[in-house]
Amino acid sequence: MRTRTPPSRDTAGTTLINHWQRGVPVSHERVFTPTLIFFGVLALIGFTLAFIRFVSPLGPFSGMNDAYAWGIWKTFNVMTLTALGSGPLALGIAAWVFNRQKLHVVMRAALVSGFLFYATGLIALGFDVGRPWNFYSAILPWRWNAESAMLEISICMPLYCALFLSFEILPLVLERFYYTGSEKTRAMLVRVSPYLRRMYPFMIIGAYVIPLMHQSSLGGLLLLAGTKINPLWQSPCMPLLYLLAAGLCGIGFVIFLLLITCFRYSRTLDVGVLIELGNLLSCACLLFLAVRFVDLAWRGQLKLAFSLNRMSYLLFIETALITIPAVVLRFKAPRETPRTLLKMATLACLGGTLYRFIPTTIAFNPARNASYFPSLPEVIMTLGYISLGIVGFGLAVKFFAVLPGDDHNWNHIFQPMGRIAWPTKWHSQWQKDARKPKGETPSLVSQ
Amino acid sequence: MSIALNRRQLLRGFAGIGGALAAVSTSAEATEEHPAHPVAPADAIAMLFDNTICTGCRACMPACNEANGLPADSLMSGGIWDMPSDLNSKTKNIIKVYEEPGEPGYAFVKKQCMHCLDPACVSGCPFDALKKNEWGAVTWTGSLCIGCRYCEVACPFDVPKFEWDHWNPKVVKCEFCFDQRLTKGQEPACTAVCPTGAVIFGKRTDLLAKAKERIVDSPSKYFEQRVYGEHEAGGTQVLYLSNVAFEKIGLPKLASTSLAHYATKVTSVMYKWLTGPILMAGVLGFAIKHNWDRHEAERSEREKKTGFPDQL
Repeated sequence: MRTRTPPSRDTAGTTLINHWQRGVPVSHERVFTPTLIFFGVLALIGFTLAFIRFVSPLGPFSGMNDAYAWGIWKTFNVMTLTALGSGPLALGIAAWVFNRQKLHVVMRAALVSGFLFYATGLIALGFDVGRPWNFYSAILPWRWNAESAMLEISICMPLYCALFLSFEILPLVLERFYYTGSEKTRAMLVRVSPYLRRMYPFMIIGAYVIPLMHQSSLGGLLLLAGTKINPLWQSPCMPLLYLLAAGLCGIGFVIFLLLITCFRYSRTLDVGVLIELGNLLSCACLLFLAVRFVDLAWRGQLKLAFSLNRMSYLLFIETALITIPAVVLRFKAPRETPRTLLKMATLACLGGTLYRFIPTTIAFNPARNASYFPSLPEVIMTLGYISLGIVGFGLAVKFFAVLPGDDHNWNHIFQPMGRIAWPTKWHSQWQKDARKPKGETPSLVSQ
Repeated sequence: MSIALNRRQLLRGFAGIGGALAAVSTSAEATEEHPAHPVAPADAIAMLFDNTICTGCRACMPACNEANGLPADSLMSGGIWDMPSDLNSKTKNIIKVYEEPGEPGYAFVKKQCMHCLDPACVSGCPFDALKKNEWGAVTWTGSLCIGCRYCEVACPFDVPKFEWDHWNPKVVKCEFCFDQRLTKGQEPACTAVCPTGAVIFGKRTDLLAKAKERIVDSPSKYFEQRVYGEHEAGGTQVLYLSNVAFEKIGLPKLASTSLAHYATKVTSVMYKWLTGPILMAGVLGFAIKHNWDRHEAERSEREKKTGFPDQL
């Protein structure tokens, strides 16, 4: 179903954008919805187990063993989910380096989701290492083994998350303080703002160089595994392919997230931006596929790829999941149809995450007869970390101006943080004040 | 075509080009640290295990436990004697047996750390907890280890074992009795106790020569008339002579290049003196600064019009 809306100039007179002009908080919703409470409870259970794991040995708690020393915390929460969290990297480079101006308006949603994926991944990593009390070596450079991919990841990922991503998120947090704070707060922010703005371009240079390093190092980790990984995946190109998979998953997840949340919170869509994102996704997928197959051909593995065994079926599935969006989104009509875009983005995310996950576990065959399947506490903890991310995002879109929306609707009012949980008389009155004017068009996705 | 550049941008551009040139010129050096075929230093020690001599008495196992202060793994024996099923967190050295189906006789094999010339575990360990010491012994230091288990993933021989059932988990593997005996002038416990001389200790050059002599003396006895470990994974300091196929006794088929060489081939060039990241920062920074300056110019116009601060 087509949803073509005519572009228009916004009231500020800048570039031709449709309905997404800037981030607008979700204000017509209760904060603690049943979904959020469900994920909150799941996160709580997961973290309780995590603290128990801290005082108990890793062995009985998880399904990991000497043959499969890395369980789903490392291979899924870190190596796979941070690919979905590479939206800031992919979209940021597209917006700031390649000057795709339309993407600036969705950067905030990408940043918050990326930050949450990284933060929950790093928390998962923290509960996975066996001797965390020695981790202070990370700040003692003379102890570093500079050629280790593991070192590069253990330093660059926390640095990126704590410094660069946090800095990129700072403006949207400070914006809230500006509008909800006192005169003094506002004056202080106005004073501080020029310094932040001067720092910003340098911080985002770091914010793109550093993830380029560690996303490729996540692939570099597996180089040392050598022949334990099936030759269809083991390749000197793995760092590059992991990086490209991160790019396509990042873009795909942002599309997915935007469409789902705009549908959920009844926001109108901006077809111009979605077309841009769809185009980017398609290009990223094509680039990945090109490198993947040139690599397979170069290493002489194409015959193995068609040998019709379990591994080659897996390769087919992974390739199909990425090829379908790559091809379909080259055409104009699917790029303009939100429902198709959602499906394609989902397929791309699944394909990219599958590519990153397979060499770590499914195509990982140590020399002995051993198997690995995550134990129940392990799975619950993984889900707990993910739930924390979901809760974080659900709260962020309500308290901060993250999701893109129409500008003229928003009178720069933010939901108060206190007295929010249960509808009180005061709260419902505030809701009425902040509600959008009548006659607002419903979300185009639902038609 | 003229590009308006300011001094800072020009300097950055030069830095980027200079970095690229540096990377190209140093690519030859980069493989020095991990050559494709490592050369053993002259004083490299070694162990030679000949399975045609081993009777499977397993004297090396309690000797190893005693020298390393390890408890007996008596889980499978119901608490009676040391009976591990494989190398594990209580067992640094194990004798396993292979029986060819339908044929009489056994082939014993002694499994422990191979002390590779260019170990993958050492290359991967982020804080050098696993280190190659004097004479080539690879040892583990608990105060540096973070328990990331990358060594377990990297080792092509599946040697390092993690203490899964302990709250203070160690990574357990044969260390050539380095601190326990070598530095005190003694040979490793297993080679000292072996009654038949199936496993012997010596210099790598000497033991390789000895092994090859044995092959020359009775070529039909030894599988493929070669020594396992001479070239596998770039060469190891534990050498094997076997009368059955090496794969049958659990010695994997490996290429003769070290894993560390394969893994660091590209990254050692890109990250030498942080060339790659600096070059990337230069290139990206050039474009970002240019776009940012234009964005800022538009922003001040927007803010004047609306009176509200622009979103970033």
